[in-house]
Amino acid sequence: MDYKKLGFKCGIEIHQQIEGKKLFCNCPTEIRKDEPDYSFRRELRASAGESGKVDKAAAFEQQKKKYFIYRGYDETTCLVEQDEAPPRPVNKDALQATLQLCSMLNCKIADKVIFMRKVVVDGSNVCGFQRTSLVGSDGYVEINGRKIGVESVCLEEEACQVIERNEDRDIYNLSRLGIPLIEIATAPDIQSPEECQETAAKLGMLLRSTGKMKRGIGSIRQDVNVSIKEGYRVEIKGFQDLRSIPKIVEYEINRQLKEKKKQGPHVRKAEPDMTTSFLRPMPGASRMYPETDISLVDIDLSNIEKIETIEEKQKRYEKDYKLNKDFAFLAVKSGIDFPVLFTKYKNLEPKFIVNTVINLPKKIKKIHNVEVDILKNEFVLEALNENKINVSSVEDILVKLGKGEKVMLDDYSTLPIEEVEKEIKQIVSENKNLQFGALMGKCMQHFKGKVDGKIVNEILKKLT
Amino acid sequence: MAEIGDLVKINDYEGILMPSDGKITIIKLSSGYNMAFKNAKINLIKKKEEVKKEKHGTIKKNPKLKNISILHCGGTVASKVDYKTGGVTAQFAPDELLQLFPEIKDIANIESKLIAQMMSENMRFTHYNLIAKAIEEEIKKGVDGIIVTHGTDTLHYTSAALAFMLENLPIPVLLVGSQRSSDRGSSDAAMNLISAISFITNSDFGDVAICMHAGTNDDDCLVLSATKTRKMHTSRRDAFRPINIKPYARINYTTKEITYLNNNFKKRSNTKLKVMPFKEDLKIGLFKSHTNLYAEELDVYKNFDGLVVEGTGLGQLPNSVVDNSTEESGKIIEKIEELTKKIPVVMTSQCVYGRIDMNVYSEGRINMGAGIIGNNLDMTPETAFIKLAWLLSNKLDVKEYFPKNLRGEISERIENIFLI
Repeated sequence: MDYKKLGFKCGIEIHQQIEGKKLFCNCPTEIRKDEPDYSFRRELRASAGESGKVDKAAAFEQQKKKYFIYRGYDETTCLVEQDEAPPRPVNKDALQATLQLCSMLNCKIADKVIFMRKVVVDGSNVCGFQRTSLVGSDGYVEINGRKIGVESVCLEEEACQVIERNEDRDIYNLSRLGIPLIEIATAPDIQSPEECQETAAKLGMLLRSTGKMKRGIGSIRQDVNVSIKEGYRVEIKGFQDLRSIPKIVEYEINRQLKEKKKQGPHVRKAEPDMTTSFLRPMPGASRMYPETDISLVDIDLSNIEKIETIEEKQKRYEKDYKLNKDFAFLAVKSGIDFPVLFTKYKNLEPKFIVNTVINLPKKIKKIHNVEVDILKNEFVLEALNENKINVSSVEDILVKLGKGEKVMLDDYSTLPIEEVEKEIKQIVSENKNLQFGALMGKCMQHFKGKVDGKIVNEILKKLT
Repeated sequence: MAEIGDLVKINDYEGILMPSDGKITIIKLSSGYNMAFKNAKINLIKKKEEVKKEKHGTIKKNPKLKNISILHCGGTVASKVDYKTGGVTAQFAPDELLQLFPEIKDIANIESKLIAQMMSENMRFTHYNLIAKAIEEEIKKGVDGIIVTHGTDTLHYTSAALAFMLENLPIPVLLVGSQRSSDRGSSDAAMNLISAISFITNSDFGDVAICMHAGTNDDDCLVLSATKTRKMHTSRRDAFRPINIKPYARINYTTKEITYLNNNFKKRSNTKLKVMPFKEDLKIGLFKSHTNLYAEELDVYKNFDGLVVEGTGLGQLPNSVVDNSTEESGKIIEKIEELTKKIPVVMTSQCVYGRIDMNVYSEGRINMGAGIIGNNLDMTPETAFIKLAWLLSNKLDVKEYFPKNLRGEISERIENIFLI
């Protein structure tokens, strides 16, 4: 498809949950699926704006004439989520994380943060609106040397999770409501579906680089806004996988091109089969008014410093520690401070350390079904570094540790080279009829991992 | 010079100039977000368009339905959001109310009147007189019921005041408030108001009462005693709880079905309404006892007309010298004696629930000996305050009438009901 010719315009919105406490209360940000401790029933009505106008999206929901059941938990949801108490002052850590991101996205930052009420009457916000604030605007992110504009970075509240939808009532889980959420919206500067995926990936990487974000399924969501000259603007929600973006966007453009009667702007949902389906009308901009329960928030930029992104860190690991791309990626992704280990165990290869710390426990889990954390048993790395034990005995030691068995390092102590030679000579003289391979096996069996196979091999080669 | 509502540009941002205070300038961007600027240089882009003021009038009445007057005394039972400016404006005209609560038109004909638009903590006796006067006028017009909308903080003071002021009520007067302001989708205002209207139209109730949420759910409202109800939570929808009494009735919001829980209320009266107003310059104190009390705290009340004491427990005050460090207690009881010589001093309890009994401990008997009245009563401190003021306003003998149950404010017996 010639996207330029089609007048393809595309922007994305990323929603990312922040780790820590909720945005407007001290509840933990734990999303729960277990049996609720309580539930309550509420109704919502769309309040009319000036001249009796009710927001289009709000009216669409209200015509459904529904009531809502909310399920909550004593320990993790409080009166604020229940809309039975006003919001507490904004979570300062979440605000700082947002400011950090704004600086990474080269945004202009407002002089004060003003929280607004964005009317939402589908029941997903108990109070009937989402609290949201514009923190940064007018920034950019670089993709393949091109600047994609960042229109806004907002800090807002996460909504409730729907459990069940019925004709007359919806049931929601309260536990997700109020989790701090960063919303990044790019300008419609993206020129192809592939670039859209790349932009989403880059923004995701920058978010993770702050170290303040929630991880795991559902903690980040992407919405894509697309339009073509012959069509209209559509917002696609609910991408399960970044890799599905190009296909879904392509399908949507095709759908619009084939559509006989143009529907006009609306919100669509990304389906698992890469198609999209009508979700709801596009909400108007006319659905915001100030959240008067929260006073204007002062901004403190004194702690905002330039931080190294995951990408930059990976490059540094490759360069400074001669790690290949995969190992550098593994090391950075793990969140473990590897440079400390590299300095501490300087006789060991960085690559070997990364492999031993990350991959070896995974292998042990797979083969022996035992879990072991080598960083909680650093004496193994110390012994390796001081050449007290041999590389080939590490796995055996870790399995034992994982099983909770006692490990005597002396059992694995490396033999002096003269001693090794002496013993190999002895084995060779006793087994003169054996081939090299068989002899090698005999020797390895004899040393029980106390000697590196490479050394045995070398000595044997000399002797035979 | 740019005014609020004009389209302006500050730095690179265009938006509508919003009301703001001090050195902060706020504009509303086209995205709907507000943005704040310090020391902003404002460039006017376009003056605002003059908005024609909508004219409000009465609405056509349905002769089959009952007529209800809504008297607005503050709070935001009805308000509208102006998304252009983000401002929230209170709504009073009947047609505006019907626009916000269209289901009312099938239940009753409504008229409305603005008495005061204020935070309820600013209420004074003057306002009680204004409200009573307005009620009297509406009754003369022949309405079938009255709803008084009111801020919630002192709603139970006003309900008690109206209960004492209005004798021989021919129609029900229900006070309605909202704990979540009506500019939000989840407001309790509509349900409280509509439940009150449907109760008035379907009941022979002829008393003053409060109508608010029964629980956190949007399912039932309660009709509560005007004199034995208290705001017991700073923010919950079901903050208004009956004290030492059952609610009168429960109204199912969906079915509008009324379940009576306590029939001990006045039916509509056929005799002539009598309004007994407050003396507006009366000074009544409400004094809360506490540990480490100093007698001089009571000096404030020496020029007052009456004093309600919120004692501890059954009606106690620190009035006994038990060791070297409690000499102050002796001074406190002396101060009380000085006061009771000049003004009525009545006892209530900061426990809120239960009855005063100053016979149980010697300290209580000392209080009575010093001239404090109100033994064996179970009035809330707020109702006692209103009652004392009303008795003094109407020159009714406090010693005789304070202990008498005049408006359901005193329970003959307290059933096993607590924290409901």
